[in-house]
Amino acid sequence: MLSFIAKRLMSGVLLLVVVTSGTFFLAHAAVGDPTPGLLGNSATPAQQAALRARIGYDQPLLVQFWNWLSHAATGDFGTSWRNFQPVNDQIALRVPVTLSVVVFATALAAVIGVAVGIACGLRPGGLLDRGLKLASVVLFALPGFWVSLVLVTWFAINLRWFPAIGYVSPDQSLTGWLRSITLPSVSLALGAIVMVAEQLRNGFLQVAGQDFVRTLRARGLSDRRVTAHVLRNASPAALTVLALLFVGLLGGAIVVEIVFNLPGIGSLTQSASQIGDIPVLLGLTAVTVVFVVIVNFLLDLVLGWVNPKVRDR
Amino acid sequence: MTSRRTSALVAAALVAVGALAGCTSAGGGGTAAGADTGELKAGVFLDVTSWDPASADIGFDGPYLSAVYDPLVALDKDGKPVPALATKWEWSADRLTLTADLRQGVTFEDGQKFDAAAAVANIQHLKAGVRSGQAYLNVASASAKDEDTVEIKLSKRDDALLYQMGLGRSWMASPAAIQSGALANGPVGSGPYTYDKAGSTPQSQYVFTKKQNHWDTATYPFPTVRLFPITDQTASFNAMLSGQLNVQFANAANLPKAKENGWNIASRAASWVGVQYADRTGAQVKALGDKRVRQAISHAFDAAGILNAVGNGSGTVTNQVFSVDGQVYDKSMNDKYKTDMAKAKALLKEAGYPDGFSVKMPMSPIFAAWQPAANQTFGELGIKVEWQDMAMPDYQKNAPTYPMFLAVIALAGNDMATLTDQVTTAQWYNPTPSVDAYPEVKALVEQVEKAEPGPAQTELLKKLNAELVDEAWWSVWYQADNTYFSVKGITVTPVTGMMFPTLRFIQRG
Repeated sequence: MLSFIAKRLMSGVLLLVVVTSGTFFLAHAAVGDPTPGLLGNSATPAQQAALRARIGYDQPLLVQFWNWLSHAATGDFGTSWRNFQPVNDQIALRVPVTLSVVVFATALAAVIGVAVGIACGLRPGGLLDRGLKLASVVLFALPGFWVSLVLVTWFAINLRWFPAIGYVSPDQSLTGWLRSITLPSVSLALGAIVMVAEQLRNGFLQVAGQDFVRTLRARGLSDRRVTAHVLRNASPAALTVLALLFVGLLGGAIVVEIVFNLPGIGSLTQSASQIGDIPVLLGLTAVTVVFVVIVNFLLDLVLGWVNPKVRDR
Repeated sequence: MTSRRTSALVAAALVAVGALAGCTSAGGGGTAAGADTGELKAGVFLDVTSWDPASADIGFDGPYLSAVYDPLVALDKDGKPVPALATKWEWSADRLTLTADLRQGVTFEDGQKFDAAAAVANIQHLKAGVRSGQAYLNVASASAKDEDTVEIKLSKRDDALLYQMGLGRSWMASPAAIQSGALANGPVGSGPYTYDKAGSTPQSQYVFTKKQNHWDTATYPFPTVRLFPITDQTASFNAMLSGQLNVQFANAANLPKAKENGWNIASRAASWVGVQYADRTGAQVKALGDKRVRQAISHAFDAAGILNAVGNGSGTVTNQVFSVDGQVYDKSMNDKYKTDMAKAKALLKEAGYPDGFSVKMPMSPIFAAWQPAANQTFGELGIKVEWQDMAMPDYQKNAPTYPMFLAVIALAGNDMATLTDQVTTAQWYNPTPSVDAYPEVKALVEQVEKAEPGPAQTELLKKLNAELVDEAWWSVWYQADNTYFSVKGITVTPVTGMMFPTLRFIQRG
């Protein structure tokens, strides 16, 4: 098990280095000289040159890369080119917002998706199962921002149950925090719930038809225990989908953060891209990769626990 | 049995979410009902550019900076400079020296005193500033005559200086904070509000608390001000509908809904929309150096149609860049380039381009709404446009290198400022003012710049405006309004030149 964990950690670190290095060079190629975007077009050439020197942009690209990498390795992502505030501080402010929404959305997808998936697996062709099929068609056909707007219109504007925009930190108010993340999370979770439910339902039916299940039933096991065995065998695929969804929802958070005006990493990525604030972009990339690595690592651990054969791969 | 239990679990989860919402909605928080005017909660289109007034933008930074800084000179609703920290001022006979008396008893948040030395430090800082420096191009020096008097000497007469200062280029910051570079981390001013850094979330919500002993406290009625930068106009409108905002920078498309809600609606001309020529001498594309070609382009566009289709009808069809609310604007000239494709083609033919010509133009997503109309019109005229797509920051950087480009350019609320901003001074959107290449224009500009401010100067500006329209200096389609919604009990007075007005223009009433 230890070598399994070590291998997964090594591959995670390698992924982090490769992705952030690639982003560094791609961002520099795409942004070009950032000074007009950062200073505005009335800046004089001398003012632009001064900024280039201040941010180290006047140095060779490889030197800039080494400077960035050597600091990033110690956890220091430098300072923003826009406001010269530490990138770490900005990300630290933003991460809780995005994580709140994405974790809540994933939890909703897990709880509701698993419940619906099991229910549909137990009664294929039933009312709930047909409803799931319809929901999968409808929800995938509808754009995410449209779903968000419908939720805002109903629950924020008409009913006034939830705020239409903004984020409340749990330090300020726990109920305020829950209310501020509910609509964004639900709008992110709707499609995910259907995906998890479908995956579990299909896996459940596939496993339920296997010989060992028939044997279990023949041995006189109760429905409840048979279901537990089926669920354990059907769960790896659903867990994988759930982990992939978490990663996908991190990306999908950009749209939701804009619609709900949330100060998360999605909206920070958008604003940093617009003005060419490369240190912030790199910091955000690194943080996102770390999340992906952690989630995949946890998934591997869980799958390894569920099915020991996985550990040998 | 199992399936029933699972369904019950799903139902319980949904009920729990509903219950959470239900039991907390009575608690108020951010969703109090519509007409809550206890505090100002304004949705601003953009985030604050910088807390350092030298690095800040004029456009949408006004509300943020006006909360925490006092200006040397302010503007009234018509763009006329009025006293603030400078209580009165006087020009020398040659209008090359401005002497201003300063308010006494004002201190900055860090305890530093506002006096002539502080004003001089600020003016020098603003003159050196990356963004603010544009307003002080003609300022040679500033000095303290005594503790409460400052003297500004100009290298060249500048009748728009006080206007530019009032527009958002004379916010006074603590000299110690300027010296130490602390303004990048947060404001240190003497303004009517204190920035609540702990209660604010940068780029999401800024909270300000009113000072009880500010010298101009009567102008600022709200005990608390919350400013929300919201770039997505749908999100902003939803927040207004839900009661989270009581003032918003609005999209004119939502006007019917605003009327339905009984909100106050305020609009005023803010920018001109059309084609900007960066090559009026024909250095890149010879045809554009011929005024008949530019006139042909002006005749070809269906400006009223574009205003209705793209601008939601919120604006005024005109061919002038002097604000429709100003003294120089001449309504009677608006018929000069009535939409007439036949006339446009005849003018092109007369200029020697019967089959049109080819030109490259930049394009960015935010101009995409106007692109089909431009493409069709240029096409009908025989002008073959090769659009070159780029992101918005690249558009601002590169557009002026093209011979012409689609533009939405801010208007000035002062006619002399319009002359400098749009005609005589190099700007990002006007990199090579070509006044020298047009003797009639040049002569009128010189006369305007030498004239006595007041009616005489205005008359000359009118002549210059007529000449510029005749030369088709720009192909202006319309002047677009900025619109603001506010709930009953709060009024917003828009000011041309400020994309979002400063807090002195947001009042109860």
